[in-house]
Amino acid sequence: MKFRALDMTMAGMFVALMAIGANIATIAPFLHVGGVPITLQTFFAILAGAILGSRLGSIAMIVYMLVGLVGVPVFADFYGGLSIIIRPTFGFIISYILIAFIIGKMVEKNKSLATFIIASLIGMVVNYLFGTNWMYYAYKLWAAAPEGFTYKMAWLWMLPPLPKDLILAVLAGMMAHRLEKSVLSKGQFKHLKRIS
Amino acid sequence: MMEKMIFGRYVPADSTVHKMDPRSKLLIIFLFVCIIFLANNWITYALIGVYTFYMLGMSRIPVRFLYGGLKPVLWLVLFTLILQLLFTKEGNLLVEWGPIKIYEEGVRQGVFISLRFFFLILMTSLLTLTTSPIEITDGLETLLNPLKKIHFPVHEMALMMSISLRFIPTLMQETDKIMKAQMARGVEFSSGPFKERIKAVIPLLIPLFVSSFKRAEELAVAMEARGYRGGEGRTKYRQLSWKAADTLQLVVLAILTILLFLLRA
Repeated sequence: MKFRALDMTMAGMFVALMAIGANIATIAPFLHVGGVPITLQTFFAILAGAILGSRLGSIAMIVYMLVGLVGVPVFADFYGGLSIIIRPTFGFIISYILIAFIIGKMVEKNKSLATFIIASLIGMVVNYLFGTNWMYYAYKLWAAAPEGFTYKMAWLWMLPPLPKDLILAVLAGMMAHRLEKSVLSKGQFKHLKRIS
Repeated sequence: MMEKMIFGRYVPADSTVHKMDPRSKLLIIFLFVCIIFLANNWITYALIGVYTFYMLGMSRIPVRFLYGGLKPVLWLVLFTLILQLLFTKEGNLLVEWGPIKIYEEGVRQGVFISLRFFFLILMTSLLTLTTSPIEITDGLETLLNPLKKIHFPVHEMALMMSISLRFIPTLMQETDKIMKAQMARGVEFSSGPFKERIKAVIPLLIPLFVSSFKRAEELAVAMEARGYRGGEGRTKYRQLSWKAADTLQLVVLAILTILLFLLRA
């Protein structure tokens, strides 16, 4: 496994973008919906997979997780530190690694607009499935939640933001396709290591 | 805000814990997260508590910083406590108030699990409060070095971490600048229905991506021009040094582990 300088700087840049996406609503106040700030982490994770490819994209997401774990406030609400592992929402952070990998794999084969959008939607579904299941089992194991806390309750909790996230996923797919066509097929970027 | 982004939650001070090697601190925290699950009665929880406060005392971190780390997780601790109180139905009935029944076992479980959270959060905060992100990255790189044998890109990932640390503040400023520039061109960012606001993401993010790609390219060219060849045989500016205090703290943790094994129910 060899990395060229551009591979590493691009991955580093995506980690920085993830950190901004997590807290974009503090920089751009218009991204509050009903008082709740929108985070664009999944959005950027989708783009990381689509632009960096499966291998580099998932490595960038692992690095994002590590940067947060070592204490830099890169997660939502400017949270950072090892104690994030205990929070039940940690599964969503792990799911970004999977998202980037799956989308990268799909897009590496076929670069049509439809593939980008379908891959993004699949990524969003994976994000929800993994994150919510993790949350449920985290409550079960860490918090030893008793019988009263059911699987259905975990899902009811997660459903309200789903429509918004599906719209964002389509947008991410379109944007990735656009960036692919306009920027990434030119200059040094052509040689970006995107296939393992 | 910018400062917070660069240094994370690091609080500089002159204490034993601050001076410890990041490798030993990482090891201690990792082992602590494992052994805390050994505690299952009052005496073992008390031991864990004594150890946590011994470490906190040694670090000389002011209480308000510890509280800052605790605040976002406090609701989770409370939620757990309430959940346990309401739903556990074992042991003697303690309180009955309408439909609410609180049992002895519920109180015990609730208190234990809240304590476990409390100590875990305090100890994990301690690492990030006493060690700067750069130091932890260095420590992590050396600790994970054996993984190179299975072709895990340890050095490359540490470098990516450093690059991102350098560029988070830059890209934050950039986002702000792009937003103002687009507003000057007449993009409506501040109001409108949900659909319009989601659409407004595009004129914000496309320039952000293009400029960060450009920065990545420039940095790569600069690295190559200076002859960057990867991790093999590279020397380090910051050297880690393992001292007697590091070994001592690991011994203390080992004693704690043995005591937990002996005293647990």
